[in-house]
Amino acid sequence: MLRLFTDTDTDITPAVAAEYGYRLISMPYSVDAKTVYPYVDFDEFESRKFYDLLRSGVLPTTSAISKERYIEYFEPEFAAGNDILYVHFSRAMTATFNAMDEAVAELKAKYPGRNFYEIDTKGITTISYTIVREVGDLLKAGKSLEEVLEWAKTEVDKFAMYFFADDLKFFRRSGRVSGLAATMGTLIGIRPIIYMSQEGKMVSCGKEKGRVKAMEHLVQQVADLGEDFKSHRFVIGHTDAPELAEEVGKMIRERFGDDFPIEYVVANPTAGSHAGPNGVGVCFHAKHR
Amino acid sequence: MERIDANLYLNLIRGGAAALAAHRQAVNDLNVFPIPDGDTGDNMYMTIQAGCGAEGSTLPEMAKSVSAGMLMGARGNSGVILSRIFAGIAKGLEGVKEADVNAFSQAMLAGVEESYHAVSEPVEGTILTVFREGAQAAAESKNLKEYFDHLVSAMNLSLQHTPELLDVLKKAGVVDSGGAGLLYIAEGVRDAMNGKVPVADSDSITTIPAAKQVDLNAFTEDSVLEFGYCTEFLLRLQRSKVDLDTFDEKVLSEWLAQNGESLVFFRDGSIIKVHVHTRTPGEILNHCQQYGEFLTIKVENMTLQHHENHMDERFKRGRKAFGVVSVASGAGLVDTFKELGADVVIEGGQTMNPPVERFIQAFDEVNADTVFVFPNNSNILLTARQAAQLYDKADIRVIPCKTLGEGYYALANLDTEAGDADALEAALAEAAGEVVTGLVSRAIRDSGDVKEGDFIGISGKDILASGGTPESATLALADTLGAGSKDVILVFAGADAVDATKLQADLEAKFPRAEVILQSGGQPVYEYILVLF
Repeated sequence: MLRLFTDTDTDITPAVAAEYGYRLISMPYSVDAKTVYPYVDFDEFESRKFYDLLRSGVLPTTSAISKERYIEYFEPEFAAGNDILYVHFSRAMTATFNAMDEAVAELKAKYPGRNFYEIDTKGITTISYTIVREVGDLLKAGKSLEEVLEWAKTEVDKFAMYFFADDLKFFRRSGRVSGLAATMGTLIGIRPIIYMSQEGKMVSCGKEKGRVKAMEHLVQQVADLGEDFKSHRFVIGHTDAPELAEEVGKMIRERFGDDFPIEYVVANPTAGSHAGPNGVGVCFHAKHR
Repeated sequence: MERIDANLYLNLIRGGAAALAAHRQAVNDLNVFPIPDGDTGDNMYMTIQAGCGAEGSTLPEMAKSVSAGMLMGARGNSGVILSRIFAGIAKGLEGVKEADVNAFSQAMLAGVEESYHAVSEPVEGTILTVFREGAQAAAESKNLKEYFDHLVSAMNLSLQHTPELLDVLKKAGVVDSGGAGLLYIAEGVRDAMNGKVPVADSDSITTIPAAKQVDLNAFTEDSVLEFGYCTEFLLRLQRSKVDLDTFDEKVLSEWLAQNGESLVFFRDGSIIKVHVHTRTPGEILNHCQQYGEFLTIKVENMTLQHHENHMDERFKRGRKAFGVVSVASGAGLVDTFKELGADVVIEGGQTMNPPVERFIQAFDEVNADTVFVFPNNSNILLTARQAAQLYDKADIRVIPCKTLGEGYYALANLDTEAGDADALEAALAEAAGEVVTGLVSRAIRDSGDVKEGDFIGISGKDILASGGTPESATLALADTLGAGSKDVILVFAGADAVDATKLQADLEAKFPRAEVILQSGGQPVYEYILVLF
């Protein structure tokens, strides 16, 4: 049979994972030299507590997991005769998948005939959450693995995500956003708008003065790029900024009506370590990213 | 007939400086706003003081040396203009061995001409007018004594007239501060000409020396301690430890000579002064503590000093295409500008104008091909421009930011990948124009409708709001400045602000569309600085 995997960088919680039968690979972060594995070292993500820590000036780091750890996740499935589909966060954002490739190559040699499939969501947090769910929805609805892999070839690029954060120091430190000017520091009051590119990277695409303009920018992106988004999942993600997320939701409703569900998701701590608190973003089905 | 030679010229300048020193605060208080941020007296004094150490054997050499010192020491607009007046006089004295009244008068008129070139748009009713009218009126004098008498009386007349020429002075009920400072200088010069010995400056104000630059990266995890530590201390011999009458310091100095190098040893009563180079300063200090206790200790890693001396060679390395120098005062504001990407933040502002020299030092520190300078104060802009003119090791672009808000917003918009230096400079100047800055401070005297003790809101040259508390004045000021239609209201709380959080809530309630951001600026004088964009 086919076993589904995803990772905690996609914002999927154990509860949502259980709906689809996903197993969760825990992607760690470190605070004060102590490494924390989400949903291994804790059962419930206390987002307020975590983001308050960031607000207080703590800058967590994140790390790639080892080949051995991947083997621990995957080997029992191969040993039991199962194949694996891993829907994961962007390869372009991490070196962790090199370790995974080594693990898979080793396991395939050990268990010939077993298959490993993957779907790269080419994103992290909200956008990955949305795609992981849509993949799960399709499989639940009876689509075959082949059909889902075929779907992913074109559809992954049709989920767009636009977001902004309060404080650029987190992004600057991680160096994971391109297009941010070298001298841009903490732009109090001025927010770069960042989107997830087709290459699976975060790219800056403009900046806005004040929260209202920044939120209006997100809504305008939905208007400009949105395609058939009401029949797909529409997700608003945030890094512990529920009021801001709801404000964006309200603006989306005012502009596009209330004949589709909007889901609100808190960004996982590992991705949040790179984004910092008070960020918000929209993920929607689009013509292109 | 009396003539001015090199020595007399320097004496005259020193006389002028001493007279201004005695009236510095009076000049500071001639502030168009009734708040304690006037500093013209300080600026002019520090500027002229920088010329008092001049050297030269001939009059032209001396005048040139005075001028060079003042050009580098110039602070504030009046200071810059003052330095240019003396630059003009020096030009006028070129080739003059000893100046009689005609030669000196010609030189003064050259100073007038040069001073008008110091500013792009000369404003009458300022120091420029006072100097010009004084120099013109005195030009017909028969001898030098008469010349300086005429000069002082004509400058005084001109100064009293300045409120008629400048509305802002008239409204505030003051005469021009720069003109007043110049009058005090002229009086001191006249007195020195008459043989009065200038009183030494007893005022305790000292110029603020720029922090010593030590490159800590010159000594890394892998560095070798090449030169040891330069160790200096004052040791007070203690009765409890030694017999002061029989103590033989030679024993100690010999021990130090054996255990260190480059020893300088000196005893004065119960105090022993030691300068020694050693690899183990701890041992030296422990040994000496047997005899007494330390009054001061300084220990410096000489490898760092060594590298410091070789800064110029290291200069070429790591040179950047673009660099940023900004001016700000207050710990929070300094940090903010650093976080925004400023390579060097010069501490300064309305009440502390940095001199030309500090800018030049900053340009060296930045080490970039093109340096963008954000003066962030209208009274520092001219100093920055003068520094830019004097500096030839990099392309210096002074962005005409006259407020912290303008500098903040312009710098926040700096994208060094967006074009060449010309394009960036244009974009920065444009960004600076998109922001409004307001200041709130406490009135220290009555002025118009404002009563002493009120808080007033200022923007540009106008008092736009007032209130019984800094917060109410800030709210009123924000309203007047059109906060309702802005996207961001940035508030820098000053060192003395107490109710900032409530102010933030009130601003949010009053201007719901704008995002209100509260930052700790830590600035002196102004309870709040408002930046709207």
